[in-house]
Amino acid sequence: MPFSLASLSFWDLLLWSFVLAITLGASILLVLLISLTISQNTNPTKTRPRGSPTHLLVVLGSGGHTAEMLYMLERMKFDPQIYTYRTYLVSSGDNFSADKAKDFEAQRVQNSQGHTHNKNYTIVTVPRARRVHQSYLTAPFSTLQCFWACLNVLRGLHPDQKLPKEYTSPYPDLILTNGPATAVCVVAGAKLIRFFQCFAKYTTLCLGLQTISPFASAPKLRTIYIESWARVSSLSTSGVLLLPLVDRFLVQWPAQAGRRAWWGMKKTQYAGWLVI
Amino acid sequence: MKLCFVTVGATASFQKLLEQVLSSQFLEALAKRGYTHLLIQYGKDGQQVFQNFIDSNQPHHGLTLGGFDFQPSIDAQMMMTVERETLGQERGLIICHAGSGTVLAGLRLGVPLIVVPNPDLADNHQQELADELEKGNYVISSTVEDVGNAISRAETQKAQVLPRRSGNTTLAESMSDELSFLD
Repeated sequence: MPFSLASLSFWDLLLWSFVLAITLGASILLVLLISLTISQNTNPTKTRPRGSPTHLLVVLGSGGHTAEMLYMLERMKFDPQIYTYRTYLVSSGDNFSADKAKDFEAQRVQNSQGHTHNKNYTIVTVPRARRVHQSYLTAPFSTLQCFWACLNVLRGLHPDQKLPKEYTSPYPDLILTNGPATAVCVVAGAKLIRFFQCFAKYTTLCLGLQTISPFASAPKLRTIYIESWARVSSLSTSGVLLLPLVDRFLVQWPAQAGRRAWWGMKKTQYAGWLVI
Repeated sequence: MKLCFVTVGATASFQKLLEQVLSSQFLEALAKRGYTHLLIQYGKDGQQVFQNFIDSNQPHHGLTLGGFDFQPSIDAQMMMTVERETLGQERGLIICHAGSGTVLAGLRLGVPLIVVPNPDLADNHQQELADELEKGNYVISSTVEDVGNAISRAETQKAQVLPRRSGNTTLAESMSDELSFLD
């Protein structure tokens, strides 16, 4: 019997489109899972000379997250000679975090150089992913808006950014986060940019437009997430979402160590108390 | 000066704890252990309870009382419980709800800490944190009714220096690894 569309009933068509949609969805999911797994298991090669300028992006959230982040930086004896340029990302309306970041920078400069003029940091503001009491109906739109703003910050396009000339790339080298909703947008954005970079690199290689450079460039947009000290035995929502996305996941309680998003993924590392 | 600083949290009300720390029995227990001042951050609904106590003629047991509802940062108040000879400050005590920010700030100062979880708030992970910290002898976890008896336990506990918990990696090491420096 020859095949013709007309011989298919409405229900057959519906069935076939269902099967097609499911297959397509499953393949996209599979590709996504595989690329996330490959990405998390690829360790960068040691290529960065010591003393070269590095750009650190610190994501600050609401009160508690910001306090913990700054305690941690203080506790690790943060060295501005290593992390030579800092960008602090805060949510709009969060003056507390912005002020705390300024205080922190003022202390660093006094400790290390003895003068108070500091050009080696900026504070940038992005809209909130979801305001307190905001309806879940409009939340996806504000999240998208936040995501777009974060992407711009990562690409150095935020109007408040003025990265000195010695930093040849607009992308930060390292991103440090500990939990606000904005962190999910930033880390997802970093992953997206890295994906496109990788895609572009292999496409040009395959097309023979470029040969493999013997000098691999230093890695960019690496991400570290630190779960809150307050979470003893269960991950926070941001933690669960970021588990498959970040390059390194640190936890402060032993019961949280060894978790991973799925088989083959990197495990969370117990780092002890980082805040005290 | 020897200060007991009580904070009930800024967002939820915790009237029971407030009434307890203003009871004659609790004030007497403080006075007996040499406390001279009691400062209370009573939160959004606590003003009335505090004012009623001040207006009434109930005994203060020689304690100087102070109170406020909310401040963006209570770091300065917490610092007053730290021992500082030059300022005539003895080591005091902090009594707080199980909010992780306050508990963490208190632990960082190394002062005796009594954590009183708010039974009206069903926040599981805060309770879990309080339990775990008590297990490690970092704080005294107490019910509202028992907070007077917890004072001496908290003071003796903080007499010994507790070890900091270290893990399998540090933040500095992790950051340096991710940046992939040439060795």
